[in-house]
Amino acid sequence: MEGENVSTQPEVPGEPTQTSTALLETATATLQGFGPVNKIHQHLCAFHFYAHDMTRQVEAHHFCGHQNEDFRQCLIYDKPDDDGKLIGLEYIISEELFLTLPDNEKPFWHTHEFEVKGGYLFMPGVPGPIQSQDLEKVCKTYGKTIHFWQIDRGDSLPLGIPQVMMALTRDGQLYPNLAQDVESRFGISFAKERENRAYMTGPAHGLHPLGNAAGRGLQTVLREVDCKPVESVPSVFV
Amino acid sequence: MAGRDEASSHEEIPPGRPMSMEQHMVDKVLQSLKPIKQMSQHACTFALYSHDMNRQIETHHYVTRINQDFLQCAVYDSDDSRGCLIGVEYIISDRLFENLDPEEQKLWHSHAYEIKSGLWVSPRVPEMVARPELENLAKTYGKFWCTWQTDRGDKLPLGPPALMMSPQPVNLGMVKPALVQKRDGKYNISTDEAIKTTRLEINEPEWINPQADYWKQHGKCFAIDVEPVEMKRMAPFP
Repeated sequence: MEGENVSTQPEVPGEPTQTSTALLETATATLQGFGPVNKIHQHLCAFHFYAHDMTRQVEAHHFCGHQNEDFRQCLIYDKPDDDGKLIGLEYIISEELFLTLPDNEKPFWHTHEFEVKGGYLFMPGVPGPIQSQDLEKVCKTYGKTIHFWQIDRGDSLPLGIPQVMMALTRDGQLYPNLAQDVESRFGISFAKERENRAYMTGPAHGLHPLGNAAGRGLQTVLREVDCKPVESVPSVFV
Repeated sequence: MAGRDEASSHEEIPPGRPMSMEQHMVDKVLQSLKPIKQMSQHACTFALYSHDMNRQIETHHYVTRINQDFLQCAVYDSDDSRGCLIGVEYIISDRLFENLDPEEQKLWHSHAYEIKSGLWVSPRVPEMVARPELENLAKTYGKFWCTWQTDRGDKLPLGPPALMMSPQPVNLGMVKPALVQKRDGKYNISTDEAIKTTRLEINEPEWINPQADYWKQHGKCFAIDVEPVEMKRMAPFP
């Protein structure tokens, strides 16, 4: 639907959680090893659109952890609440790492420079100057985003195949109503953020021509294949 | 490759510089990270690549229950702090599964065997405590997309997402014993013992939909390709 983006929050079909289930889950959480999840330290809000269709746009709440200075891995939810739906994930890498990618991989990755400098990518709840400390790094990175749940078309379950997503690269792409909705809900002004971030710079080598779907678009397709032949005896590895 | 060797290759996957830590402490204090706090369980199990079922991996699921019929899982290749985010799995009740379109059902796998055989475990949670949840899970179906193939040594997440399948009690679906032994050794458990005792008592579902585990009855597996296309757009890109 052109010009109008329905920001739908899926109502997942199902019975409310039974008490016994909920109690068990509290018990298990205290006993177990949550290593990788404990590394998640940051909430970023941004916008994605489908790599084959810019007219379908989604507000995306990223919860990110650093593997190291050059690499973050993020879980993406439709909202930052207790009942947020896990709709996708994103990997964020430094320009240095991006340049090591094979050329046929680079199109999957989008740049962050415009959305950071434009103010559209922000950290809810964090004061401007503190955000800037980190966002000036994000400004130079590339991201690979895959969504599994097409909530913008009203799916109440994660149907279909994964979708490669892209990010804002210039003015005029983001729907004003989406922008205003986020601004009012999070009490921020993209215009103000833009001023604060004017000093920031993007990747040292500029936006790579193969990034951002090589400037065209990408579509995922499902292919049926014959299953690989069975090994007659499972091998034992040392 | 049976799995990542934790002694050596954790250092290189992904490549990158050590982190500077300071501001991340600040971020965590100011932001509530609510969806992450809703992850209530860690489960360890095994999965197979649909397009090559000879490739099998140990997975670490961090599970959030949305309601009695629906779970969403962030999946990592390890439960320690260096674990890489390798994908997402959604788990639904048989009730929800039966309402899916048959074409959609092909992308899902059943969990009964995984649970009955003791392959799926909740580390550090006594079997008796986990029992109600295991009974519930035995009747569910899962849809698991893998976005980072660390088992083949990828240092960064490359390529399109891959569909994963669950262990099944027939040739292609059998998990290699060495993989299971390695996992069991790490958690000091015995999958064999589990089969003979606690899991024996868990009821099999009366019926598993033949559209699930599609390869079993149809000999066909699935792969995702990504094709360059012209992005539908209402503004210039990039």
